[in-house]
Amino acid sequence: MQYSVFELSKHLGVVPDTIERWVRQGKLPVSRTGKNYQFRISELKKWAATHNICLNLSDEDPAEKKRESIISLSSAVKNGGIYFDIIGDDVTSVLRACIKKMSIIHDDFKKDLFDRLVEREQALSTGIGNGIAIPHPREQLSYLNDPAVSIFFLADPVDYNALDHQPVSVLFFILCPALKMHLQLLSALSFCLRDAQFKRFLNARPDPHQLIEKIEILQTANPI
Amino acid sequence: MNYKLLHIFRNTPFGRETFLQSLYFCKTINAFPLAYIPRSDKFLLYFSNDAVQVDLDHSYLTSPDTAKSNAEKLFEEMGTKPMFYEPKNFTASSLPDISTNFDYLCCPRSVSDMSSKIGLGHIGPRVRRIIKHATFPVLITSPVFKPWKSISVFFGGSKNALTALTLGLKIALASGLPLDIYTLLEKQDEAYYRELIEKEGLDEPVTQLSRQWFFYEKAHFDTMLYDVPHNSLIVLGAYGHGIIKDLLLGSKMEQIQSTVMNNLLITGPHCSMSLQ
Amino acid sequence: MSTLKKGYSILYQWLFHRDDRLLLIIAGSVAGICSGLAAVALRLSLQTVLEWLHPFRHYGWAFVLPAVGALLSSLYLEKIAREGAGHGVPEVIYAVSRYGGLLRFRSSYSRLISSFLTIGSGGSAGPEAPVVMSGSAIGSNIAKFLSLNERQRITLVGCGTAGAIASIFNAPIAGLVFAIEVILGEWKFVNIIPIAIAAVAGAEVSQAIIPEQVIFNHQTFQVGLLDILPSLCLALVTALVSVVFTKTLQQSGKIARTSSFPLWVRAVFGGCIVGTIGIFMPVVLGEGYHFIQEMISGTFSLGVFITFVAVFAKIFATAMTLGWGGSGGIFAPCLVIGSLTGIVFHKFLLILLPSVGCAREGAYALLGMTGIISGVMQAPLTGIFLIVEITGGYEMTLPLIVVSSISSTMSHYIEPASFYFKDLIERGQFLRPGTDARILSDLNISELIETRYTKVSGNMVFREFIEIIKTSRQNFFPVIDDRTNEYKGMVKISAIRKYVLDPGMYDMIFLSQIMDTEVMTVSLENDLQEVLEIMDINGMETIPVVEHDRFVGMISKTRILDLYRRELIVQTSAH
Repeated sequence: MQYSVFELSKHLGVVPDTIERWVRQGKLPVSRTGKNYQFRISELKKWAATHNICLNLSDEDPAEKKRESIISLSSAVKNGGIYFDIIGDDVTSVLRACIKKMSIIHDDFKKDLFDRLVEREQALSTGIGNGIAIPHPREQLSYLNDPAVSIFFLADPVDYNALDHQPVSVLFFILCPALKMHLQLLSALSFCLRDAQFKRFLNARPDPHQLIEKIEILQTANPI
Repeated sequence: MNYKLLHIFRNTPFGRETFLQSLYFCKTINAFPLAYIPRSDKFLLYFSNDAVQVDLDHSYLTSPDTAKSNAEKLFEEMGTKPMFYEPKNFTASSLPDISTNFDYLCCPRSVSDMSSKIGLGHIGPRVRRIIKHATFPVLITSPVFKPWKSISVFFGGSKNALTALTLGLKIALASGLPLDIYTLLEKQDEAYYRELIEKEGLDEPVTQLSRQWFFYEKAHFDTMLYDVPHNSLIVLGAYGHGIIKDLLLGSKMEQIQSTVMNNLLITGPHCSMSLQ
Repeated sequence: MSTLKKGYSILYQWLFHRDDRLLLIIAGSVAGICSGLAAVALRLSLQTVLEWLHPFRHYGWAFVLPAVGALLSSLYLEKIAREGAGHGVPEVIYAVSRYGGLLRFRSSYSRLISSFLTIGSGGSAGPEAPVVMSGSAIGSNIAKFLSLNERQRITLVGCGTAGAIASIFNAPIAGLVFAIEVILGEWKFVNIIPIAIAAVAGAEVSQAIIPEQVIFNHQTFQVGLLDILPSLCLALVTALVSVVFTKTLQQSGKIARTSSFPLWVRAVFGGCIVGTIGIFMPVVLGEGYHFIQEMISGTFSLGVFITFVAVFAKIFATAMTLGWGGSGGIFAPCLVIGSLTGIVFHKFLLILLPSVGCAREGAYALLGMTGIISGVMQAPLTGIFLIVEITGGYEMTLPLIVVSSISSTMSHYIEPASFYFKDLIERGQFLRPGTDARILSDLNISELIETRYTKVSGNMVFREFIEIIKTSRQNFFPVIDDRTNEYKGMVKISAIRKYVLDPGMYDMIFLSQIMDTEVMTVSLENDLQEVLEIMDINGMETIPVVEHDRFVGMISKTRILDLYRRELIVQTSAH
């Protein structure tokens, strides 16, 4: 297998000019066909090894690799599901009832998730005001494959120790396998919740399909 | 992209015509002209596999004190910001190295001979040597400043001709001027040439940018040369294929340059071009 | 036919492409033979013309001979060959370090002719530098013909040099050492084998054609431990003389350059002075090999005082020849001055301590030569090996090493740059492989530049910009003019942080109001050395590159480090 100047420049992380100069100066093993240079991989590997130079032979661009996949809030909501009429009269009972309904979490891990959420609530309430709380664990959840946002509408508002001391009636659970996604989802969610129209829409206890549609509209208006 | 053209300024009336031609070329294709006012009668061009010494004749050193202001005046006349090239390295104290990191070089038909010969279409041996080794196209100007309004590419099907065609398309794209292609049918027929550019992926830009493609029978070479508009820039590749032709510029090229008085833009065998 | 062609191409690939050693050895020996022939040709023609002119030396008008020679030589170089001035060796070093050994074809003969004119007519100069110049140009042009790459071309330049020196002195090892120590400046085994073979080839050529005219016949000297102390003193003397020699050469060149006379008047003037000195003291004339031979074999007959004066007369004559328009090198004058110094020293020694049983006069002449070569050219190994090869034995090795090391150290102390390198160092063009200066000069700005930058317009409202920085990873945003695309300034995220955090500002300002227009910029024309200097002075980590008022990209120190390291590895590997 052979590389051209341009391909090799990607693998070595230099510009084609440098490759051409090295060839001119006789520092790279090269075979010429007419005006074009070709580099054999076997020779290149040997060259890189003797020179202690990193030859990145994978096809991906290392700069591209770092760019993590962007997840959308709407798909996370689809993952997490929307539930209505949760019954409970304080924070822990509400949380327990919610977790119990959650289909995305396997029963073996429900206890662990509950402990983590309660611990988080004890540290600082996640009630952000206007009757909304965003419970989430502090660490990433290893037993989750995809990020999920579950929405729970309570049967009756509950005192959640919220920042504005108002009772909470809607809960957004943010559950993520990685912390990076958590930030993205949180930022997307808080953008939605800042929208006055959306808040009114929430209070009307909408149909799940409509809710997801609404979220999609809002997130296209504010791409991450 | 910032394209640069190097012009070796000659402070004589003839040099003025050449310089105006360079400025016009740059203005038309949005390139930057750089003037080099020689202080010694020779300089070196280091290409990747050859060092070419260019010996200038004394007319290049005429009244050095007015050279810069004259050049500036011409720059201003064409509405371009004056820019001058200063050599940084010297092989010997009177032998500056001129960078070969340019996109175009402007040459009169002859660098060191008397201008009387130029009327005969003679191209000097050093200009040939520059073309042979240059990695950039060389602009060979007509003896008198003459704005051109179209581009004519001579396309003979060789590798150099493809480079020339690419260059012609590039210039047409940059200047917005119409492009005509002229082909002399020697051994192959029309379809062969059309296939050739398709293989090189040039068919689409050619249809988009070119106005017309003329084909001529081999015997009508002179007619073809006459048909080329007098006010067009001729783009062509030097050197045919074959060892004997390599010694000269290629027989067709010789005939063209001695017959047509247009501005020529010549790509040598070391030029490479891409449409980007 | 096609199988034949295929077979040939496979053979070619196998022999030359995969491993170029064989190719280099063959091409190198050709270069060695050619440059050997050039050296022999110059030697023979010099010999002939010196013999032919000899009868005229006794006439009073003979002083114009060097003037005529220098005149013809300078006119030839300037008007016919149109070479730039200079005696050659620095030009070769410059070409090797900056352009991979590219030399013009005309250099392979022009210096031979001009130095023949200068030296043949009696000018005091050496034929070695011209021969080195033409040898290396031959090597370079062979490489050009074979379209070799720079590394291979440099090896062939070294081959040509080695062949030339080896042939002129019949000293192959001295040729090899000179090529590597002075011209190439790097000891790599891929270079050494072809160069050694070329040196041997050059020496063989000269032996085959002019066996009876080998410059220095092998001589054996009895050198004892007693000579160590005197050689110590001699080393100090030669160091002093070599500094005087270097300074005189430079001064004379400087004076000649500042004088307003045209070139040919200068050449005539210098030549006349040399000729006049030559009438009274013929030892200063020509390349002086004949006198060196006399001094080594001990048949040199001048008295102490005259010899002492001769040292300075030779220095002056060489300076007048080379500085004022003659063409040639300093190698042979160094040898003459060195042997004269050695003989003066020996004679003084005998006067002061008549009973000391030190070595013969010839041995001191040789030690003196080493001293001057090591001092002027600061090439101690060349000095040692040349004399070892001339004497054909190792009896003198110890005093040779003493003299050459002390002389080169002392003169280095007084005059840090050797004669060959001084000019290059002053111009900042002394770029030995693997040095910082070389790497910086090899790395181009265009190779370092990062061009993937989002540009913003000066008319952009700040709020719009906030949206851009939300999704961007850039820390710098070049601001350009909407209409002309000209670069206007730079927005640095770290500098505008407090406005970014203040939503009240979002609709109040345009980018042209908060951009920094004072940021230093560089252009693609700058070399890396200058760029780094600007960055260091202004404490910058990244610097924008602006060409013709257009933003091109940014150069960051991280990127520089990355490429610098790679360049260093690639350049210094033994390969």
